[in-house]
Amino acid sequence: MSFDAETASSETVIIHVGEALDFRNADDFKATFQEHVDEGVRQFILNFSDTEVLDSTGLGSIFSLYRAISPDDGKVAFADVSEPVQVVVQLTRTYKVFRQFPSVEAAREAFAE
Amino acid sequence: MAEHTILVVEDDSTVRELLKYRLGKHYEVYTATNGKEALDQIEETIPDLIISDIMMPKMDGFALQSALQADKNTRVIPFIFLTARADEEARQQGERKGVDDYITKPFDMETLLSRVERLLERIDMFQNQLDAEIGRDFSNRLLPDHTPDIDGYELDFHSESRQQGGGDLFDWTETEKGTYFLTIGDVMGKGLRAKFYAFSFLSYVRGTLHTLLEESTSPAALMGELNDMLLNDDVLEDTFATFLLFHWDPHAHTVTYANAGHCRPVLMTPDGATVHEHSDLILGLEEDITFSEVSLDLDPGTALLSYTDGLTEQHTQEGGMLGEDGVRDLAVDAYDDASSIQALLDGVLSQSASDSFEDDLLVVWLKRLAE
Repeated sequence: MSFDAETASSETVIIHVGEALDFRNADDFKATFQEHVDEGVRQFILNFSDTEVLDSTGLGSIFSLYRAISPDDGKVAFADVSEPVQVVVQLTRTYKVFRQFPSVEAAREAFAE
Repeated sequence: MAEHTILVVEDDSTVRELLKYRLGKHYEVYTATNGKEALDQIEETIPDLIISDIMMPKMDGFALQSALQADKNTRVIPFIFLTARADEEARQQGERKGVDDYITKPFDMETLLSRVERLLERIDMFQNQLDAEIGRDFSNRLLPDHTPDIDGYELDFHSESRQQGGGDLFDWTETEKGTYFLTIGDVMGKGLRAKFYAFSFLSYVRGTLHTLLEESTSPAALMGELNDMLLNDDVLEDTFATFLLFHWDPHAHTVTYANAGHCRPVLMTPDGATVHEHSDLILGLEEDITFSEVSLDLDPGTALLSYTDGLTEQHTQEGGMLGEDGVRDLAVDAYDDASSIQALLDGVLSQSASDSFEDDLLVVWLKRLAE
């Protein structure tokens, strides 16, 4: 199962996380972002509007994305964060690293500035 | 589970395409037209199974099979011969070379499919048994075989390991001054990979603690060192871990700790329980970050509960997850029990949808006895 990724601009890609990002599909998520990282994309918006499940393997795959692009000042934004995702983000204090936006549109505007 | 890959080696294009089409419904199939091409393909990707014709130009099936037998990396790939040479001589030659199966043309496709399925099932079974055994071995090494015995205190832990579970770890070290460092962590990921990283990481932590403790007993400073190590070590690349480091002084009755994104410990007194929210970023994500630490006084009758997310993420009968509040409330109920951990686990299971724990689980309970 692959992830729905949408090119917002030459610098920004939106990945729609869908219902679950966990140990079952974390490798697919990595393959999805890797393709864009290889093409030079350094800004990612993750849309969590439908996400019910984010386990530690799933979160780990997002960290891998961050590690891949942070040497080039890349950014990962969390958009429309659902309640289950918010719990994980709070516990691991990762809101210090991933900026959150109420919507994908708001994240796009912030990246475009 | 990842799809199995099958390499079909056949010079007759009709048979080759037919096999590719039928096997392709269940497996990832790639093809070669002779033994030489097959060896090139295998160098790129090692298949889970090979189905090969015998009579082929350039390099025949027997030569291919001999070449694979000569290399330890390819010797164990299951091999099925498919051939028109139904005579006994060819069959015996095939069997002498240790072939897994031998199917003569014209063959019945359903028979071939069922034999392929059976062979791959057998491999999966062996692999699963081996993984389970290695996983258990790693899990045992991620835990101490006993805990320190200190007057006036109780220190206990409980761990349960699932094959698909992750890398929960717990360890303790005594310092020269008779104080203790407790390390509790969870290396992100599932299965053998997480357990392997947890094991490597814990080995490093053990080694580092001994060296660093000569200079500092600050959990926050040590946490910073561990973070740098995770970010700069090649083997542990892309490893992330939540971590709790306690410096416990049973003489001064204090615990000083740093928390890197781990489940927050619960402090219990006869008056009730509080979740201690102090926490910093998870390990392995960002360079040059500073960690902070807080100190807690352990008055008589105070208990400190630490755990991994297998506890908070256990599903309740209502369909949600137990969560931090659920753990805290059950900890209060278990506080007075003679075997607090067991009482806590029983409490969790009594609210659970399932009658056992769904994930790896680690619980550490430190209590200063009432005077």
